[in-house]
Amino acid sequence: METNSFDAIVVGSGMSGGWAAKELTEKGLKTLVLERGQMVRHPDYPTAMKDPWDLPYGNRITQETRRRKYVWSRTGYPTPSNELWFVDDLENPYVEEEPFDWLRAYHVGGRSMHWARQSYRLSPMDFEANAKEGVAIPWPVTYDEIAPWYDKAEIFAGISGSVEGLPQLPDGKFLPPHDLNCVEVDFKKTIDQKMGRKLIIGRCANLTAPLTHNESPQRGTCQARNMCIRGCPFGGYFSSVSATLPSAERTGNMTLLPDQIAYEIIYDEKKGKATGVRVIDANNGKQTDYFAKVIFMCASALGSAYIMLNSLSSRFPNGFGNDSGELGCNIMDHNKPGGSSASVEGYLDVAYTGRRPNGFYIPRYRNVGKDKRDYLRGFGYQGRAARSGFGRFNESAIVGADLKKEFAEPGPWNFGMSAFGEILPYHDNRMKIDRNKKDKYGLPLLSVNAVVRENERKMEVDMRNDAAEMLEAAGYKNVKVNSDNFHVGNSIHEMGTARMGDDPKKSVLNKYNQVHACKNVFVTDGSFMVSSGCQNPSLTYMAFTARAADHAVSELKKGNI
Amino acid sequence: MSGVELSEDSVDLQQRRALLKRVAWMLGGAISAPAALAILQGCSAKETPAGAATSWKFLTAEEGSIVSAIADTLIPKTDTSGALDAGVPAFIDGVLQAVYPKDAQDRFKAGAAEFATAAKAAKGKAFADQAAGEREEYLKASLEEALAGERDPKPFVLMARELTLLGFFSSKVGIEENMEYVAVPTVYHGCVPLSQMKKHVYWE
Repeated sequence: METNSFDAIVVGSGMSGGWAAKELTEKGLKTLVLERGQMVRHPDYPTAMKDPWDLPYGNRITQETRRRKYVWSRTGYPTPSNELWFVDDLENPYVEEEPFDWLRAYHVGGRSMHWARQSYRLSPMDFEANAKEGVAIPWPVTYDEIAPWYDKAEIFAGISGSVEGLPQLPDGKFLPPHDLNCVEVDFKKTIDQKMGRKLIIGRCANLTAPLTHNESPQRGTCQARNMCIRGCPFGGYFSSVSATLPSAERTGNMTLLPDQIAYEIIYDEKKGKATGVRVIDANNGKQTDYFAKVIFMCASALGSAYIMLNSLSSRFPNGFGNDSGELGCNIMDHNKPGGSSASVEGYLDVAYTGRRPNGFYIPRYRNVGKDKRDYLRGFGYQGRAARSGFGRFNESAIVGADLKKEFAEPGPWNFGMSAFGEILPYHDNRMKIDRNKKDKYGLPLLSVNAVVRENERKMEVDMRNDAAEMLEAAGYKNVKVNSDNFHVGNSIHEMGTARMGDDPKKSVLNKYNQVHACKNVFVTDGSFMVSSGCQNPSLTYMAFTARAADHAVSELKKGNI
Repeated sequence: MSGVELSEDSVDLQQRRALLKRVAWMLGGAISAPAALAILQGCSAKETPAGAATSWKFLTAEEGSIVSAIADTLIPKTDTSGALDAGVPAFIDGVLQAVYPKDAQDRFKAGAAEFATAAKAAKGKAFADQAAGEREEYLKASLEEALAGERDPKPFVLMARELTLLGFFSSKVGIEENMEYVAVPTVYHGCVPLSQMKKHVYWE
């Protein structure tokens, strides 16, 4: 038993698990990190340096990959250059009561390997909205409380961006911003002057300059390859594998075990504490119990809630820490119903060099200040302008030497942007465990039922029309409104399954991400979110995880847990 | 991970990984970007074999000859490489087999047969045996007709054109002769006059 005992166990090695591992080990805790998928080590990313002609099939997804990764295929992300980072959905089934894209990455680093790196703070407005509007329950944390932890996350990860002074999108500790391109610069002026809307360069976890600290000697600056999704041997973008896990490793306090599927939290009724985690080895089915004083759940919003719902005891007959009945409920994501695209005339004598791993961002302006709509909350846009490539020749009948002459010049500029909208927390957007269906390990399946509802539907009208209105205001041609049939999960920002709150009757976690009813268990992935904002959430998970780890170690030292 | 097959030469890959490991660690330290670039470009891939495919995986020899002739007509060899130099026919054969769903595979085969028959009827000899000018004239007319007509499902000539372009611009010669391809650009410049670019088209 001795060898299976640690000070802390972290379940999951992705965005949140990496941070938990770093913070806990740096504070001296012997920490076991359990990852259900395979090992990945920086800087070993098998496809990272492949040239385009090294990739089979013009880097198009094969039928076999489509068949196996049938959920991921709905996103359009998997290609031969990156498909090893996407879970085999056939081997890892779940039940979609309503269409739900559960997009998983089972390997060390999780989805931090291929996130879009967009890094925004939630604002005071976001933390206050539930209380002001009487939606769900209030956040138990204010912006001012989390702000120093945002600072810490940004400084360590290296977030590039511009300082803007926008109340709805607080500034942070930024590395220099990427350039907007020539078309985007003019578009920014147009929508500011004509509509009072702001456009900024995306804030992203790519090192546009060296880090301002010496804690990550394994990382270099961003090389403008825009192949981040393959893994970056330069360490140019933040991931668990490139940044937090190496820090944890260097302390000598981390034991990282891949291929270990955590499926149950062990609860000791006499002690009134969680004592460990039960795992199955993905390779041989062997069951092992690991023990620790404190447990951090970082297995993703659905993953952590699944393990908790699957952890039954006489104290917790409805799932671990689930006195409130809210565990697995209130699933949110970001609604992505479309946007607009257009062609841009002119600018034919200019282009760009290097490949920018980033786009522009239009921060929320709806229901901000004096603007009032017939729905709550708002949305932001992400997009870019670019010169069109060889695909444009598919639209002409030109052949032979005449066609080849055209190859020498870049195509006309095109422009596109998509909206990401806040989804309100609804109790009925929930997951449960279907004990009648089992996976290949004999574990019952997760079953999920979450849809967008009236507030989101109303917002969608603005999300599409506003986009087209802005492109028209800029004088662009062929302005198209794009309508996507969004299913919850598709933005890969699922959250809210174990929300935090001051009232234990209405929430699973307290303001320090600590399970109300069992104080030595912390849940710091997207599960804790009380509302979604419309900003990409990873930076918020990093900040809350660092804060929770700090609290956990302090409570441990005081003998409170 | 099971179910993932990447066409990689394992020895090559190991050497490449070891090298990259060093380069990446050095970049954290003192090596200059151009030096790193030179190292990385030194380990680029083998030349794509030139010429038409000789053994077909998915197409029949007859279909392959039609596809080769179409690719050669769309992007002929001039003072720069053409589709055949870039290995486009073999590329198309492979994509049809591995990437296209069954219904699109079937439509492609049926379309190739129709195209062959119609081209022969129009010019009195097989498409592949026609002079370059004749082939260009016929293909241009076919493309114009297809572009003006029903596009869903995609007509054969448009599928063949799309595959030819994709294959050509996924090949080493197609990319390097027509675009500025930089594996490790090191920096992004958002607004650059074309007059300051070596080639006007930047691979992205």
